[in-house]
Amino acid sequence: MSIKGGSETGNLSSTLMEELENKTVFTIPVFGGIPVAESVVVTWVIMAVLVVLSLILVRNLSVENPSRKQLLLETGISFLQNFFQDILGEEGKRYIPYLMTTVIYIGIANIAGVFGFTPPTKDLNVTIGLAVMSIVLIEYAGFHKRGAKGFLKSFMEPVPIMLPINILEIAIRPTSLCMRLFGNVLGSFVVMKLLEFICPAVLPIPFSLYFDVFDGFIQAYVFVFLTSLFIKEAIE
Amino acid sequence: MTSLIAIGAAIAALTGIGAGIGIGIATSKAVEAIARQPEAEGKISKALLLGCALAEATAIYGFVIGLLIIIVLG
Repeated sequence: MSIKGGSETGNLSSTLMEELENKTVFTIPVFGGIPVAESVVVTWVIMAVLVVLSLILVRNLSVENPSRKQLLLETGISFLQNFFQDILGEEGKRYIPYLMTTVIYIGIANIAGVFGFTPPTKDLNVTIGLAVMSIVLIEYAGFHKRGAKGFLKSFMEPVPIMLPINILEIAIRPTSLCMRLFGNVLGSFVVMKLLEFICPAVLPIPFSLYFDVFDGFIQAYVFVFLTSLFIKEAIE
Repeated sequence: MTSLIAIGAAIAALTGIGAGIGIGIATSKAVEAIARQPEAEGKISKALLLGCALAEATAIYGFVIGLLIIIVLG
C-alpha cells in the first residue's frame, strides 16, 4: 500500500491497514498448525461471560417474592420472547431460543469495542458463519413445515417462472445479511479509529455512543428481525 | 495509478446518496404518519427501522466495495 502525501497521511493509512487485518492470536500445533484468529478468542470471552451471567442470574429465582434482579431478567426475556412471538406466530415458537441467542451474541459482539476488545463481527468470517446458520435455519423451517415435496414446490411459487429468482434468493439472502452486518461494524470501526487518530481524548466518546452502542444494537436487531421475517415467510 | 484507485473508491462511495435520500423520505413519511396517528407509533417505528436498514444496505455495499478497491488494488 503506497500513498503519496505527507508523512501524516502515510502514517494514518498504515495504522488503519494494520487495524483492519484480522490478527492471528496463536496457532494450535496439530495438523500442521491451525491458526486461531482474534475474533475466535473474543467470541470465547463473550461465551464465557454469557455462560457465567446466565448461571449467576438464574440463581435463587422464586415465584413468591421475586428479587429486583429477577424482575429485570424476566422483563428482558419476555420482551424478546414477545417480539419474536409477534413475528413468528404460534408455529414458529420452536425457533425463538436460537434467535434470542443470536441477538444477545451479536449485540454483545458489536459493543465489544467499548470494552477495548476488537468486535468479532468486524471479521467477515464471523458474519458469514452467522448468515450461513440463518439461511440453513430458514430453509430447514420451510422443509420442516411443508415436507420434501412442499419444500420443492415452494420454489415454484407464486408462479413457476419465479423459479430462478427463488433459487438465487438462497444465495442472496445470506450474502446481504452478512455484508450488512460486516459493513456496518467495519464502517463504525474505521470511523472510530480515524477519530481516535485525530483526537484521542474526549471527542470519540459521544461518537462511540452512536457508532458502537446504538448502531451495534440496531444491527443486531436488524439481523434477527430479517432472519425471523424470512422464517415466517418460509413457514407460512 | 494511486489517484485512479482513489477516484474509483470515491465513485463507489457515491452509493451513499441513494441511501441518504431513501432514509430521508422514509423518516419524513414516518413522522407524518405518527403525527396523524400517534397511537400507531410502535408499529410505524418498527417498519421504519426495517426500511432504514434495507435502504442503508446499499450504502454499506458501496463502502465495502470502496474498501475492497483500496485493499485489493492499492
